[in-house]
Amino acid sequence: MQYTVGSIAPIFLSPVIAFVINAFFGRKLPRNGDWLAVLSIFISFVFSARIFGDFFFGQFATDYYIHKTFTWFDLSAGTHVFKVDMGIYLDNMSSIMLLMVSGVAFLIHLFSTWYMDHDERHGRFFVFLPLFTSAMLGLVLSDNLFSLFLFWEIMGFCSYSLIGIYYEKEKAGDASLKAFMTTRVGDVFLLLGIVAIWMVVGSVNYVDIYAAIAQGKFDGPAVLGISFATFTALCIFAGAMGKSAQFPLHVWLPDAMMGPTPGSALIHAATMVTAGVWVSLRMYPLMVLGDITWFIAVIGAITAFGAATIAMVQTDIKAVLAYSTLSQLGYMMIGVGVGSYNAAFMHVITHAFFKACLFLSAGSIIHSVHEQEMPKLGGLKKYLPYTHFAMMCCTLAIAGIPFFSGFVSKDRILGDALYFGFMAGQNPLLAIVPILGFAGAGLTAFYMFRMMFLTFYGENRTHDSHGHGHGHKDDHGHHGHGHEIHHEHLDFRSNVPLLILAVFTLGFWFAGNVVGQNFGNVFGGKNEWFKILVEAPKVEKFVDRPKQAFSSVDTKGEIVLPHAHYHHQSGYAGPNPDEHKLHTAHVIGAWLSIFIAFSGVFIAFLMYIKKSVKPLAEKFPGITEMLKAKYNFDHFYIDILIKKGLLGLNRFLAWLDMGIYDRYVIDGMAAVNRVLFKASKWFDNVVIDAIGVDGTGVTVNLFNLVLRIVQSGKIQFYFIMLVMVLASYIWTLNI
Amino acid sequence: MFLQFLFLCSAALTVGCAIAVAVTKNIMHSCIFLLGTLIGIAGLYATLGADFVAVTQIMVYVGGIVILMLFAVMLTGGKDFVSRAQNLLGLAPSMGNKWTFALGGFVGVVFILTNVKLLMSVFQTIPAKSFGNEYPSTVNEIGHLLIKDHVLAFELSSVLLLGALVGAAIIARPRKQ
Amino acid sequence: MVSLASYLIISLILFVVGLVVMIARKNIVAILLGIELILNAAALNFVAYSRYATNNLDGHIFSLFIIVVAAAEAAVGLAIVIRFFQIKETIHIDEATQLRN
Repeated sequence: MQYTVGSIAPIFLSPVIAFVINAFFGRKLPRNGDWLAVLSIFISFVFSARIFGDFFFGQFATDYYIHKTFTWFDLSAGTHVFKVDMGIYLDNMSSIMLLMVSGVAFLIHLFSTWYMDHDERHGRFFVFLPLFTSAMLGLVLSDNLFSLFLFWEIMGFCSYSLIGIYYEKEKAGDASLKAFMTTRVGDVFLLLGIVAIWMVVGSVNYVDIYAAIAQGKFDGPAVLGISFATFTALCIFAGAMGKSAQFPLHVWLPDAMMGPTPGSALIHAATMVTAGVWVSLRMYPLMVLGDITWFIAVIGAITAFGAATIAMVQTDIKAVLAYSTLSQLGYMMIGVGVGSYNAAFMHVITHAFFKACLFLSAGSIIHSVHEQEMPKLGGLKKYLPYTHFAMMCCTLAIAGIPFFSGFVSKDRILGDALYFGFMAGQNPLLAIVPILGFAGAGLTAFYMFRMMFLTFYGENRTHDSHGHGHGHKDDHGHHGHGHEIHHEHLDFRSNVPLLILAVFTLGFWFAGNVVGQNFGNVFGGKNEWFKILVEAPKVEKFVDRPKQAFSSVDTKGEIVLPHAHYHHQSGYAGPNPDEHKLHTAHVIGAWLSIFIAFSGVFIAFLMYIKKSVKPLAEKFPGITEMLKAKYNFDHFYIDILIKKGLLGLNRFLAWLDMGIYDRYVIDGMAAVNRVLFKASKWFDNVVIDAIGVDGTGVTVNLFNLVLRIVQSGKIQFYFIMLVMVLASYIWTLNI
Repeated sequence: MFLQFLFLCSAALTVGCAIAVAVTKNIMHSCIFLLGTLIGIAGLYATLGADFVAVTQIMVYVGGIVILMLFAVMLTGGKDFVSRAQNLLGLAPSMGNKWTFALGGFVGVVFILTNVKLLMSVFQTIPAKSFGNEYPSTVNEIGHLLIKDHVLAFELSSVLLLGALVGAAIIARPRKQ
Repeated sequence: MVSLASYLIISLILFVVGLVVMIARKNIVAILLGIELILNAAALNFVAYSRYATNNLDGHIFSLFIIVVAAAEAAVGLAIVIRFFQIKETIHIDEATQLRN
């Protein structure tokens, strides 16, 4: 067998074809063409599985990669090179990611055909779903940051459409806009980072970037007082923060549950949010070079802990899952930051399986009961046995109970975090990373079991609400009226996807052994295959590696190299690990997280099953209120920063519009006076009030300043900003 | 000699009419001046030996787009745009005023400076190319290129045109309230 | 002899005039005129480079496609202008702020 472009491209192309057909002829097809979407993803899955099989069974060496490029356009003139290449980049990591994305997306599609049945937006849903998946697959396949950015934006658009699919609901419309605008802030930075990389490397290929890092080309001029590498890495990471919903830009993700539940499953599990982690992993050498890994770890820790605390008090079952996604994304970022490269990636994969399963289970509950408020659920175990089983597996996994996948990946991240925080000789303040990480792990176990207990155990409370259930609309678009809950039976569209996903919440699939430490190996010689296959890119290897033409053929026979054996290798990618201390940290971390997870479960058990401890809401009403308000982030962004804090700036801009831009400047002197006056007023209002009264960071303020200017609504103002930003970029960077 | 004469005439026509487009108060006249600019650019194409592009430029732009513009101007109330006085809402007149032109000029200067900074190195690095005064017809070769190398773009552009046609018809159709 | 630089300068002037038109004028049709100027500046650059820097006709092809895209853009843009006029009874650009909130 040979690898040509024809054996790779269908992964990306078949969902695109399904999208095109469904978009134009979906209404003509039977069942609005949903079978076509499912089929197309299945084709992707088959091709991905073949690639994964080849990589997994050692047909390619560990550090082998397939890189096929073609020149999209070439406008070089003289010594000025302006050439854009596109291509495919496949290595171990992308083969795993492709299999995960296509597999999970296939099951989600299958489930959606059941969930969206008889829904008025059935056809529309199955237009965007394959496009979304294809964008993610394309993102994984792409070999450069430029095409990555294209797919990134397509995903942004698709998430916008999927979140706001019931656009007549005001909340859904707002949520979709919020998601779009918030991620856009990150996207601007990502684009800036890409341009900066282009400037010094002359190309945005991963391979070229790695080679450039190895050759030390990133010693460009300092920008705004920070070194060029740091600037670039920060820009790229800011993009990842927007997409992966990290701390200051996290506000969109919880609202993203407004769409249909399978759509949320796709956004939260397989695609979209993992894209940010993906780009951080791909650009990991740059992050190390720019020395911002500690920053990534801190942001991740804040997100992991903060989101977990909010999740404790949510009553909507999907809101709990949304905040748990935020929290788990925080763990992935901790993983990237503390140098546990392959554990972070493993957490992407394990999280995709259990979070997809959790969301689909929630969808199954909502579809059966037409209710998503947990206080109105309860006792569903006997009605929905299969859903209960699947959801229980996933809950065990996410809570970090041993033998499940979440334990394997999260524990490795936490172990490395422990080493990073206490033993690696870093700044002692960075101990906050493992502390918040472990605290978040305990909270995770607590709130997930709270959700399980409230939903599936105790007495059934669904009938209480039926009296006023009419007129209430759940996210499925149905009126919740009081029909009896039917016992579910095994159906290949509704339960089987859940059960398949539940199978992959077991830890040994990823660790290769049941208990750890080479005991109970499942895959024989492929023990710890994840560590063998995934390692941080070693940039020196990429110098002067030839590229292949797009039409070239990779024959397996020529490139078989023996697998390296990594039995005692930790997978830690940070600087100079002390193996002994690292091992100690992992042992301590493992026991600590087992203890924390079980105590979280135990507290939840006491509160919600035994009822011997009062639930949180009654015990700490003050804290609960604060958490329910989500730390007032929305209030802070909208009311304080945009309405109050920026009112002065608003006036200033209005004056700018009216005065300079239109015709109100009568006298030059008066104008100068007014500028001074308004500027000082602006300074008073924004800087003194916002910081002095609310004690908040200026960074957040700046983000909103950008948003405010973007929202002026005057198109000519946009032109001016466009030219000015371009000019300032060229002048400051001295191209 | 003729070449330089043609170049000078075309350049003068292009630049002069372009500036006139910017400063004329009557939008109708602006459209007419745009016509001059486009014809001037066609002349510049001719001096570059791009006969096919020059002819297409005249046919499509001068024959199509400018006429379309004129239609739009007339459909949206032609005379109304002649330097209307400031109205009650505090809006500037439709043509803009000295302040907007000042701002536009400032942005333009910034852009020119930026561009000159970028272009300086280009000017120095491009090798002087010598070619004779021969201007072979490009039609044949362009035809080959369009159906060989660029056939996908060619087909896509036809789809784009069709889409634009249908879209324009749908957007502009009168609607019942 | 006419050099590449002279074409680039003409194209720069066209571009800047287009930019000024887009920023300074308040009439949507005028802004579309500005866009046409900018597109023409780009097309002129393509053809000039095609003559002076490369030996092929790809630049010509590009400017042909620019003309096509400009035609499509003009058609749709003017349709939008007419529709806008039907709704707002003006084509002042500052009235077009529906998406602000």
